[in-house]
Amino acid sequence: MRCGDIPDADSLFRQTIHPLSFRGGRFAHDKFLRLSYDKADRSLLASLTWERYVPSTKLIHGYGCRLALGMNEAERAAGRTRQQNRRVYCGAYELKGKAIRALAASEGLHEILSADVVHHAEKGEIAHADLRIVIRPGVVADIEGTKTAILDRLWNACSGPLRHICDCDKDIPEHPSSILSIPPGGEYSDTRSYLFRLWCIVRFQICDWLSGSHCLTQASNSLNSHT
Amino acid sequence: MLNYQPNIYRQAIVIVESSPEPICAPPALMLDSSGHYSPVWRLDHTSVAGPVYTTPETESLILRDTFSSVPIIWESELSQEYQELGEALNEMTELEEGDEWKIDAPVYNIACSVAAELMANSFPAPSIFNHGPKSIVFNWSKEQDNLYLTISADRISALISSPERIKRRIDISARELMNPSLAFSSVGAAYSDYSREPVKQLVKGAVPDPPELVLVG
Repeated sequence: MRCGDIPDADSLFRQTIHPLSFRGGRFAHDKFLRLSYDKADRSLLASLTWERYVPSTKLIHGYGCRLALGMNEAERAAGRTRQQNRRVYCGAYELKGKAIRALAASEGLHEILSADVVHHAEKGEIAHADLRIVIRPGVVADIEGTKTAILDRLWNACSGPLRHICDCDKDIPEHPSSILSIPPGGEYSDTRSYLFRLWCIVRFQICDWLSGSHCLTQASNSLNSHT
Repeated sequence: MLNYQPNIYRQAIVIVESSPEPICAPPALMLDSSGHYSPVWRLDHTSVAGPVYTTPETESLILRDTFSSVPIIWESELSQEYQELGEALNEMTELEEGDEWKIDAPVYNIACSVAAELMANSFPAPSIFNHGPKSIVFNWSKEQDNLYLTISADRISALISSPERIKRRIDISARELMNPSLAFSSVGAAYSDYSREPVKQLVKGAVPDPPELVLVG
């Protein structure tokens, strides 16, 4: 069994964190994804999570809660302890692998050489995947404009949100998950049959066992303590 | 008998200070002696060091619909929206380094002058987001279509999109930024495609073909 390839039909999730994707009390949907540009290899990168390693809603949100927790620990380590610096996980949006790969053939995005999403475990998170978009050499005058166009396409292709309140955030009176927007693609619906979902969870366990990774165990422990 | 004039003349004034410390304040509408409103981008400093850039030419704007019936109320709302935009931009420059919403001072300076031009041309105030410190994006949504202006220190990219596809992209270079009339004719043409709201649509005398994004390869 190969656990590394991400099929077109598989779902990828993007966890949304307050206040990074919010401004003035509103969700800034065009910041649901952060694209960073690597000049050396002309690529734009972003982080997603692969459904194969987060095959249930609980696991998707567990990843988000750990993500916010890690950010808060980093903020504290940097001496930023103000309430406005608190990172709050709000929910996740879904994208299909096919929609990401289709960017390379999108009308109006001719500067894209290739677009792909690849499995890349990171910081102990086995579900982490890299969204990687390579830009054609010598054609882009303004990478910032390209970022806007890519985010516009991806926002229109995604569905959601899957809202969530982590246990550690239940003290927040007006949780920002309530102001997440519904994208043009509509609300997320898990269309997998019961049997297929069961198979996904079994496969997840088999992949974990085959990989011999301790990531899942660590993630599971963390999940139990923070969600 | 009242004499309603189809032509409204405005005096747009944009002042961009060359100091490395950005000091752009929200725009204000000033009523001049001839009874016309002019958006003025104010400076917080009492004195201005260095060169001052102005666009003193008078533009003739022919408004297609019934704008003239409530111009003062509408201008007031526009002024309020742009005041809030100016405050938001100002806040973004003052954020700590590393903050997701911080923008660099050169981006802020260009964004201020773009905002002043937009207001002078009666565009509704945009919502904003950024990709990091090197750019700010002005966004207008209408139903499910979007118009974006991505403003960096030396370029502006315009994008019009629907849920199905990218309809149009325009790339405005630093050279064209030195000629705001040309740049905004391009954006104005794109905006006219985008928005059909008669009250807010501007029809200008001569709109040159916009410089489309040209991609080689």
